[in-house]
Amino acid sequence: MQRRVLSFSALSIGLALIVGACGGGATTTPAATAAATARPAATAAAATAAPAPAQEIIIASDFPTSGADASSGLPAQNGAAFAVSQTPEYKGIKISFLPFDDAVNGVHDPQKGAQNAQQMLSNAKVLAMVGPFNSNVARAMIPVANQGALAMMSPANTNECLTQTFPYCDPQPKALRPTGKNNYFRIAAPDTVQGPAMADFVLDTLKLTKVAVFSDNETFGKGVADNFAKRLVAKKGTVTNRQDFDMKSTSDFKAFINAAKAAGAQAVYAGATSATKACIVRSQMAGILDVPFTGPDGIGDSQCIKDAGANAANMYFTNAAGDAAQNPEAAATIAAFKAKYTKKEDLGAYTFPAYDCALILVDAVKRAIDANAGKVPTRQQVVDAVQATKGLKGTVGTYAFDANGDPTSATMAFFQTKGTPLDWVFVKQFSVQ
Amino acid sequence: MLHAMKNARAGLLAGRRGRLMNAGLALLIGFSLIVLATKAVALGPAYFIQIVVYGFADGSIYALIALGYTMVYGIVELINFAHGDVFTLGGFISLSLLPVFGLIEGQSAGPEVILPLLAIFVISMLACGVVNVTIERVAYRPLRHAPRLAPLITAVGMSFVLEGIMFLWRGPFNLHYPSLLPADTIALGPTGATIAFKDLAVIVIALVLMVSLSLFVERTKLGKAMRATAQDRDAAGLMGIDINRTIAATFFIGAVLAGAGGMIYGLYFNNVVFDLGFNAGLVAFTAAVFGGIGNIQGAAIGGLVIGMIQSLSDGYFDSSWTQVIIFAILILVLVFRPTGIMGMRVPEK
Repeated sequence: MQRRVLSFSALSIGLALIVGACGGGATTTPAATAAATARPAATAAAATAAPAPAQEIIIASDFPTSGADASSGLPAQNGAAFAVSQTPEYKGIKISFLPFDDAVNGVHDPQKGAQNAQQMLSNAKVLAMVGPFNSNVARAMIPVANQGALAMMSPANTNECLTQTFPYCDPQPKALRPTGKNNYFRIAAPDTVQGPAMADFVLDTLKLTKVAVFSDNETFGKGVADNFAKRLVAKKGTVTNRQDFDMKSTSDFKAFINAAKAAGAQAVYAGATSATKACIVRSQMAGILDVPFTGPDGIGDSQCIKDAGANAANMYFTNAAGDAAQNPEAAATIAAFKAKYTKKEDLGAYTFPAYDCALILVDAVKRAIDANAGKVPTRQQVVDAVQATKGLKGTVGTYAFDANGDPTSATMAFFQTKGTPLDWVFVKQFSVQ
Repeated sequence: MLHAMKNARAGLLAGRRGRLMNAGLALLIGFSLIVLATKAVALGPAYFIQIVVYGFADGSIYALIALGYTMVYGIVELINFAHGDVFTLGGFISLSLLPVFGLIEGQSAGPEVILPLLAIFVISMLACGVVNVTIERVAYRPLRHAPRLAPLITAVGMSFVLEGIMFLWRGPFNLHYPSLLPADTIALGPTGATIAFKDLAVIVIALVLMVSLSLFVERTKLGKAMRATAQDRDAAGLMGIDINRTIAATFFIGAVLAGAGGMIYGLYFNNVVFDLGFNAGLVAFTAAVFGGIGNIQGAAIGGLVIGMIQSLSDGYFDSSWTQVIIFAILILVLVFRPTGIMGMRVPEK
């Protein structure tokens, strides 16, 4: 029996890895409004004849771009590639793009990510990279890239432990950076922001104060649920009832739902992901408790809509990145992108965040070249330049970074299920500190 | 003479200790009931009724699985670990048949839904029966006279094989099971409590199946053969009962009930996942032991009791404690009544 349990948990761990840790799932963004005004030519010099020893700087990327994960990885890679292609050259130095795939058998793989980082380091031309997509891949890549001072810029990593020190973090951010200097940056809002953001949304936008809260009792799920409850109570809301489920052994949530109903809950917050049965709770609410269902970005995918079944309407989630279509200044960039990448699946929720990441890196490389008297800078110089980024305007935000590598101001977007067939639709977004 | 006196005194001591233990058990149960009652009063009667209804529905599903464990154990003294996965298989087969019969999410549950549902129900049950009989023929029968551990390990192996097949078939994710039972509720008296049609359907279907099983075992020739084989396999064989056929029939009937349970589970909870049977099977096996392994009524009652404990614990305490409470009660019952609440019925040696 013991052996069976052991091997079973080994199997479960394997599955958990497959199912994915970050929770930054693919979300569908509404089609961008097209207003085609020509983008100012980004190319700087007219140097047609390149200098004799062809100088080249490569900005790499690392996303899961094969198999099932490709649905979220490829659109992000497209965004980064597009951004780099807009600055093919700076002061006679060629800037090019080199994509890496971290998927093994169609699923993002931390080991593969670490290998990719190793390859990037061994190529002297690679000065910075965009990515990775998944937090657990980042955890494996950061220590490798750190030893070569390779600047990393992720559009989608949300795990707070990648940058911030909390008692429950394992490993601690310090352990991920063996040189003691930071080389990792991201533009996504950390998970610590998602819970409070949804609490504000429930209180201020939905105008509801009594919320039932549950979690899957995992680091991410319990974290966002705790942060949600804390903010809700601080703003005079009430947590009607709270349960932390062991999702491996539970699929009956009716008692929880009934307790919520008995306590007069006006909404439910799910500190869980589609992979940890969050939306099965939603389906079981049918006929018992007809109130809005809210959660973190982990529920923002098609699996959740499938799980919720007939009860999929009236759900909301927070996304750790903004929606470029909402930014009028980005319209030209979006139109140019769409002219180059014509298929619908080329564009995803993280395309323009990844575009912004590459934009920041290109900008930093340019400044580093300037600072280095027009010569190719070192990797450390690029990292320093990224750290010095200030007020750079991208398609989904304006960027600067704190000492941890977190954005000083990140954008948080809200999505809701709407339409026929039901899909996630943008509601609104705002900046968070 | 001296020996007899010693025996008598030991018996007396054992009796006194037994009474003491029974009193202790009663005290403990009484205490938990008082704690429960105070909480129940605080949350009102409507909530309590709702929780009890859920308890019955959950319990019915556990009972359906537990029956298969107990029947198989009663007849061949084998814990069929693959049984929980046969239960999952029932859910998977019926889920795959739904679109074939044109049943999709959001369909109103009228008479046009009932007939195909019934057909799927029967097909899934029979399919599970055939699978379980095949497992018995391939994996257990050749080992019937082998040391006890051999078939036990084979059963664990079969469990993994079934889980693996379902994993490869439909993948590692939770699968949504369309909600086809109507969400209508029936008011229960003036308390404000309601019973959902869904809950009622689960309880009624399970009851019908359990009563038919009981009648089958008590009234039919094959049922009699099963009882005889369970009592003494060799003697039954000498009396002209076809042992192999009887054992196969037991596996078949057990799996039919589990398959039914799998489909009911899907319709009730609206999701199935490939490794569902691991946990559900463990709880159902607990129910079988709780009721007295080998005892059919015991398994039914054990299932209902565990379902009720689970529901009350989920509803009044914390769901993270539910498994702890269930197994604590199991340990207590086995310490005080090693043969389960209804008494074991296993082959005589």
